[in-house]
Parts: sequence; C-alpha cells; structure tokens
Amino acid sequence: MRRRDVLLAGLCLPFLAACGRDEDAVRVDLTRREEPVLRQLPRAVTYAYLPQYAHTVSYERHRLLLDYIGRATAVPLRQVFPDTFEEHVRMVERGEIDISFSNPFAYIRMAAAGAWAFARIIEPSGKPDFRSQIICRRDNKAINTLADCRGKRWMAVDQSSAGGYIYALGEFFDNGIRRSDFAEITFAPGPGGKQEKVVLAVFAGACDIGSVRDGTLEILRGRIDLSQIRILAESKSYPGWVYCARAGFSPEIVEKIARAMFALRYDRPDDAAILSAAGMRGIIPAVDADYDSVRRLAEKLGLDALPGGEE
Amino acid sequence: MIPRLSALSFRTKINCGIVLIVGLIAIPLAYLTWRAAAESLQTETRKRGLVLSDNLAMRVSDAMLSMDLLRMKNMVDELKKVDDISYAFILDRQGSVLVHTFSGGFPVELAEVNAPDGPKPHIRLLDTGREFIDDFAAPVTIVGTPFGTARIGLSRTKAEAAADRLALMIVFYSAAAMVAALAPSTLFARRVTERINRLKRHAEEVVRGNLDPRAGPDAARSCSVMLDCDKTRCPAYGDNRRRCWLTASPDQRGEGPESCRDCPVYREQKGDEIQDLAETFDVMAVSLKTHLDELRRAERVLSRQERLLRTILDATPDLVCLVDENARYLAVNRAFANFLGLTSEEIVGTSDRDVFPEDEGQAMHEENSRVLAAGRPSDREVRLRRGGSPVWFHVVRVPVVDGSGRVIGLLRTARDVTQLKQFQEQLIQSQKMESLGKLAGGVAHEINTPLGVILGYSQLLQEDVPGGSQIQADLQTIEKQAKVCRKIVADLLGFSRQAESAKIEMCFNNSLMEAITLVRHALSLEKVVIATDLDERMPIIYGDPEKLKQVWINLLSNASDALEGRGGTLLVRSRLFAHEQKVTAWFADDGPGISPDNLGRVFDPFFTTKPVGQGTGLGLSVSFGIIKDHGGSIRVETPAPEGFFDALDDPGNDRPGTVFVIDLPLDHEETIGGGHPAHATEA
Repeated sequence: MRRRDVLLAGLCLPFLAACGRDEDAVRVDLTRREEPVLRQLPRAVTYAYLPQYAHTVSYERHRLLLDYIGRATAVPLRQVFPDTFEEHVRMVERGEIDISFSNPFAYIRMAAAGAWAFARIIEPSGKPDFRSQIICRRDNKAINTLADCRGKRWMAVDQSSAGGYIYALGEFFDNGIRRSDFAEITFAPGPGGKQEKVVLAVFAGACDIGSVRDGTLEILRGRIDLSQIRILAESKSYPGWVYCARAGFSPEIVEKIARAMFALRYDRPDDAAILSAAGMRGIIPAVDADYDSVRRLAEKLGLDALPGGEE
Repeated sequence: MIPRLSALSFRTKINCGIVLIVGLIAIPLAYLTWRAAAESLQTETRKRGLVLSDNLAMRVSDAMLSMDLLRMKNMVDELKKVDDISYAFILDRQGSVLVHTFSGGFPVELAEVNAPDGPKPHIRLLDTGREFIDDFAAPVTIVGTPFGTARIGLSRTKAEAAADRLALMIVFYSAAAMVAALAPSTLFARRVTERINRLKRHAEEVVRGNLDPRAGPDAARSCSVMLDCDKTRCPAYGDNRRRCWLTASPDQRGEGPESCRDCPVYREQKGDEIQDLAETFDVMAVSLKTHLDELRRAERVLSRQERLLRTILDATPDLVCLVDENARYLAVNRAFANFLGLTSEEIVGTSDRDVFPEDEGQAMHEENSRVLAAGRPSDREVRLRRGGSPVWFHVVRVPVVDGSGRVIGLLRTARDVTQLKQFQEQLIQSQKMESLGKLAGGVAHEINTPLGVILGYSQLLQEDVPGGSQIQADLQTIEKQAKVCRKIVADLLGFSRQAESAKIEMCFNNSLMEAITLVRHALSLEKVVIATDLDERMPIIYGDPEKLKQVWINLLSNASDALEGRGGTLLVRSRLFAHEQKVTAWFADDGPGISPDNLGRVFDPFFTTKPVGQGTGLGLSVSFGIIKDHGGSIRVETPAPEGFFDALDDPGNDRPGTVFVIDLPLDHEETIGGGHPAHATEA
C-alpha cells in the first residue's frame, strides 16, 4: 500500500470508528395517557411510633416487632408514620392510629382524649424509665454547671418531647433556672430525627447546650465523634415509653397484642433481635397511674396548655 | 479551470498549506472532541441520572412511609424544573404510580418499560418518536425492603444537542483560528515572496546581462568601521554593500563562515538563508561581471586578430583552406570561395568531394588523406578544368598538429600557375622552333644548290631531246619533282625565317579575300563552301601580303582537308579591335575537330595526321612562324565555340568543328595589353 493511502486511511479512521449509536432504544408511546388511581389499602390495625426519629428509622425499629405481632396474633397491622408529635397525638385522637407507642408526655395528652396505656417498655438500660441528658461541646469552657447555662442558646427536641425537652426543663426548673434565663430556646427543625438533630447542632456549635433523652448518643456513635460531646447534667428518671390504645379500640385485640408483646424475652435470640431493633429490652404491662409523676411534672412546669408540636 | 499546483504562486501555496494544516488538525480534532464530549456528556448524564434517581429514591422513602403525596409531588416537580429532565415519577411496591410530572395523564406504557435491576438502578434508552430519553429506575428500599421505584427520564437528545453545540463551537473556533492563522501567514508569505521575487528580478537582470543591480541589503556599517580596521588594501575595506566574509574571505566558503562565527561583524550582519542567498547572488554577479569583462577584452583581442588574419588570408590570391582530420573544411579564404563560386559558409563543413567535380574531388581527397595519414607536407602541381580551359595550381599541403603532435588537420594553399605554365610551354615551343629552324635552314641551304643544279640540267636536257619522247617525259618528271623539292626547301627556309619578308601596309580583308578567291573554286569541287563574315571597316595592317596569303591558303587548305572529302562549310570571319590595336581572323570548319591528344602538337613541325606522301607537316608550323614574324599569335580551339556557326544556314550538322584564331597587330609596333573584342555593331 502506498504511503498516501495509509495517510488517508489514518485520517478517515476516527470518523469511521465514531459512527453509529451502539444502544438499542425501546419505543414508547407517550401519547396514550390516563390518570392513575391509588388502590385502596387493605383493612389493618394501625400502629404508630411517635416520630422522634426519621420515618425510615421508625420503620426499621418496629418492622420486626410488627411482623412478630402479626404472626403471633394473626391480626393484620400496618405501621403509619405521622410527621410530628402533634400530628401523632391528633391522629390518635381522630382514631387514625389504633396502637400508639409514645413518650409519657404525649401519652398523658392522648390519655386525656381517652387513650389508655396497656404496656410500657424496659429501656436498653434495663430499667423501665429514662431521663433527659443536657449536653454541650467538650471544648466549651464557659459551661461547666447547669448555672452556666443561663444566657446560653438551648436547643431541645420538641416542645412535646419528654426526654428531649420537658425532663430537662424540669431539671433546670429544680435548679432555679427558668426558660426566660436562656438567650434562646430553639427546637429541632423538620419532621423526625429530632434527637439526632439536637446532638448534631451542639456538635456543630449551632447552639451552646442541647437536651436529648438518654441512649440518643449511642445511636449516633460512629457517625460523629462522641468524645467531642460532654454530658453536662441528667434529669431525674421518669417512666419510659408507653403503648396505648386509642379510645374505642377493641380491648380484645389489645389483649392479643399485649400478650404477644409480653411474651417477648430478651434472652431468646429471636426475641432479642426484635427487641434490640426496637431499642428496648422488653415490654411489660402498664396502667395509666404509672404516669402520674409525669403529669405532676407537667403541672409544675405549667405545661397543661402546651400546644404541642413544633408548629 | 483549476491551475496546476506547481503553477500557483508561492504565497498562495503557503496560505493554502497553513489553511490545510490547520484544517487537517482542527477538523479531526473538532470531530474527535465532539465525539469525546458527546460520550463524556452521555456518561455524565448517566451518572447524573443514576445519582438523581438514587437520590430521589432515598429522599422519597420517608414520604412514602407516611404516604405524603404532596412531598413526593414536590420532589418530582422539583426535578422537572431541571431542563434536561423530561419526567420523574414514583411507583409504589405494586407498581402503581403515586406521583408524576406529566400533565394530562400518565403515559400508560411508560411504567412498564423499565424496572430496577434488583437493588441497583437500571438504565434504559427510550425512543418516544420525538426524542431519545435515558430512563433511570432506582429502587426505593427501606431496610432492604423494596417499597417502590423512583423513575427519572433524562433527554439524551438535549444532551446531544449540547454536545452538538459544543462541536459547533469548536468548529467555529477552529474556523476563527484558521482565519486568524491566515493573517500572519499572509504577512509571512508576503514577506518571504517579496524577497524571493526580488531575487527573481535580480536573476532576470543577470540573465539579461545587467550585473549591476544588487539583491542583498546594505550593511549599516562596513566591517572596517566596526573593527576600526586600517587595512585599506583589503577588498572589504569600507564596503558596506557586501559582507566581508563573502568578499574578503571567499576561500573560506568551503567551511562556511564557521571561522567568522565569533566575529562581531558576522554576528551583527548575518541574516537568514534568503539573505545569504541574495548576498551570494551579489558576489556571483560581481565575479561574473569581472570574468565577463576579461572575456570581452580577450574577445576584442581575438576578434582583432581574427580580422587581421582574415584580411591577410582574403587578400592573398592563393586559395587557402584549413581542413580537419576528416578532410572537411574548417575555414577557407575569399579567393578559395570565389574560385568555387560559393560562400565561405557554404563550404565550411563540406569536403573536396562535395565542392569539386567528381574526379578532381576524389583525387584531392586522396591526397589530403595521404598527408593526414603520413603527417608529411606535400607539394605538387595540379591541373584542373575551368571554363573549358585548363588551370594549373601549385598545391602545398602542410599538416596541422596539436600539442601532443597528433595530426588534427592540414593547411592547403593553392597558387594559380597557369600563366607560368603557358609561358613555360611557349618557351619550350620557341626553343624547339628555333632549333628546328636552324637545322632546317642549314639543310635547305645545303640542298638548295644541288637542287638548282638538278633543275637546271633537267631543263637543259629537255631542250636536247626530241619532243614527246620518253626521255623528255622523264626529264619533265625530274623537273617537276625538283620543283617540289625546291618548294619544300623554300618552306624550310621560310620556317627558319631565312626567307626575307617584304612588309607593307595592306588591307586585311583584301588579303583574306585574295586567298579565298584562289581556293574557292578548287574547294567547291570538294563540296566545300566558304562563308565570309568580314569586318566592314577594312582594317589596315602592316605585313607581308604574300606570306600572309600563304598562311590563309594554308589554313583554308588545312580546313578543307579536315572535312575529309565529305564536304562542309568553312567560315572566315574578321574583326577589328581598334582599342586593342589588333585585328582578329577566325578560320573555322565544321569538321570532326582535332583530338585532344593532338591539339597541343598541331603547330609542331612535321606533325601531320595525313598519310605518308600527302603532307609534310610544315604548313601550320610555317604559318605559326609567319604570324609570329608579324608580331601576332595563332591558336586553335576545338570544338568550335558554342553558337559559332549559328549565322550559317547549315542545319543538321552536329560535328564539333575547329577554329583557328589569328591575332595581328594593326601596325608593326608591339602592343601591350588587351581588351574585349569589338562587336560588329561597334562603330
């Protein structure tokens, strides 16, 4: 082959090599249209977890438990996800949530609307009660005691959050610190995941102190450097989270569900997996009177007229 | 018509070359860049689609759990705001559409055409008929459980349009670069071609012979100024028109100006290759001019010498020529050319065989070859024929040798010696006649006396014998034969000029007519007619009437004999040449002529072609002697000149004929010189 032909072939090669589309296309007619209609969901007992975490976390935590209860009782259950504490309370009041798993302060509000407690959990600590933790950054030299919190920026979880706000507020109250003593009190923004948001806000320096329920820091272990967080103080212990049934819900079904719950044993690996995923050690029976201490605290803090929810 | 590439101007070639180079680089580059950009854009689009769909799947999970359609709708609508996202929608676990970005209903076919590949997103290219769409299906998974699908459609057509715009931009910038490259290339080409054209003009001037213009630039300062040099004899001193390394040190050109590399003059004045070329042109022109001047001077000298030599050669009457080793003429002089009736240019390059008659040319060529082969000169006399008469040349051949002694030609000179030859012949003839005359005169004297005694006694005896007797008859025979002998003796005495002449003024024509009258009757018996053509001016000569009459009768008798008894015509013509002081007579016959062998001997004594007893061979020799005695000349021509007999009414005669021509002076004094014969029409 002559040199000129080689040169010509070399010049044409890129054009030849780059020609054509090397992928088959699926022909789709976009002109045929119709408006979709959502299918009606099957009838089931609705179960809701007070949205202190993201919905997915809530789903993850209680998915195994619901599967277990469904299998144990043959009662179809469906987890629903209110976006806020207030919505949760309202949905219970409206009858949209049959079984509610909430903190004690939300419960006393729902109990006022007819809900009734039938079970409570044993915290991961092994106790059936929990407390609030007041945290700050480790390198914050200005805050060493609760008294140092005066004039500081405080981020709490929610106005309705027991461990994330009210228990800490009670602790401040007992130490002579009022809400007006703080430079500002803000609440974790947006729906769900509010406990984590408070820890992250303190970690980022967006606020000087934060209040979360105990156990929250463990949830964030591995995601942030917990050594940078210092627990300034802890509140007194109050009864832990509670299962209640809405007003008018079938006591028989509640009885079935409660029986299945109470049958869980942490020392059984299968049960332990269910309980651990839900962040509890076990479920024990409860009655409304178990939460009188919480009612008293609310009264002390003047939270009867608390609007609830962040909105 | 497209001009040939080689015929394009250099500037056009440079511009075309640069445009071609930029084009050859830019176009494939633009194309490849476009392809790479398109592929890169496509890859990025796919990555982006994957990220967007994954992101949508993750963000939508909370809303799906709470069945917050508004949040899901906001999420997909938010994506739809992005220009190249054609659509976004969410399917639930059962494949039902929860939210979408379409208006006017959801395309029923769209939900089914793509699905996640297990836990991973899946991409499929869709063709809607109007555009191509990359459809991304990402699974909405919560704690490992599939909850639905997030679908996003990214318009590949729009992405490719962006790539096309990019390609267009590259092409535009390439074209701009091409145009931008054209401007400096034009300036560059103009600068180069201007200098080349200047060199071309300079070369054309050199071709025209004008060596004065210069192609190279002047130096701002000469080397002597720069180096403060005081060597005024140096050719480069004070010269700022040429570089010193070209003029002062031309011998160093072999090494190039390497030896000048560190010189400040070189560093300052050194130019590029074109300047080098121009300066070399200048030096070449100067050298050429010097050589041309020398050549012109040498040419003038040579030309003068050649003219001189040519003049000498042309002035000489000798025939001079120079032939080469192949015996071909290299040069001839004017006399030679005139002799051949040709020009010098016509002769040069030919050989003897080309310009001479065949026999002469061959003989001369052979003689040339002998001299060239032997290398020795030759010297001989050659007889040539020209105009019917012989011409004699004394030819000398001298070989010409080169520096190594090799014969490269010969110089031949030929001198006309015809006249000398004639003089020689005449001298021999005269000497022969003189000797013969003396001999004949002596013999005649001795015989005359006893002959007279014999004649006298024979006559006396006749008186003593009876008339009519045999003895008387015998005596008459003796008397008759004695008279014949006395006639011979008288002729011999006349031949030897021992007979006395009695010259008087006489009429030439009358003398002729007397003789003609005497013989006309006798000749008429032999069918010989005598025609006359005499000059009417009746020329008078000084001569012996009897002797001349004897000559005329002799010639007429001779002519009659030449007709060999078959009859014919004799023509006698006379003409007066007053300005030459001579009169000429022609005696012509239309007989068979004289053979060439005998032509030279007809005037010899006792030469005759007649049988024994019919002629003595003294007639013409006696006539010759009488004419010579009268200061004239006699000669013979055979055949007769062309047209000599035209005036006669004698058709059908094809014999050559013979003419005897006699010139006689008008008086007794010898006349020198000659001229043209007077015509009859002359007064």
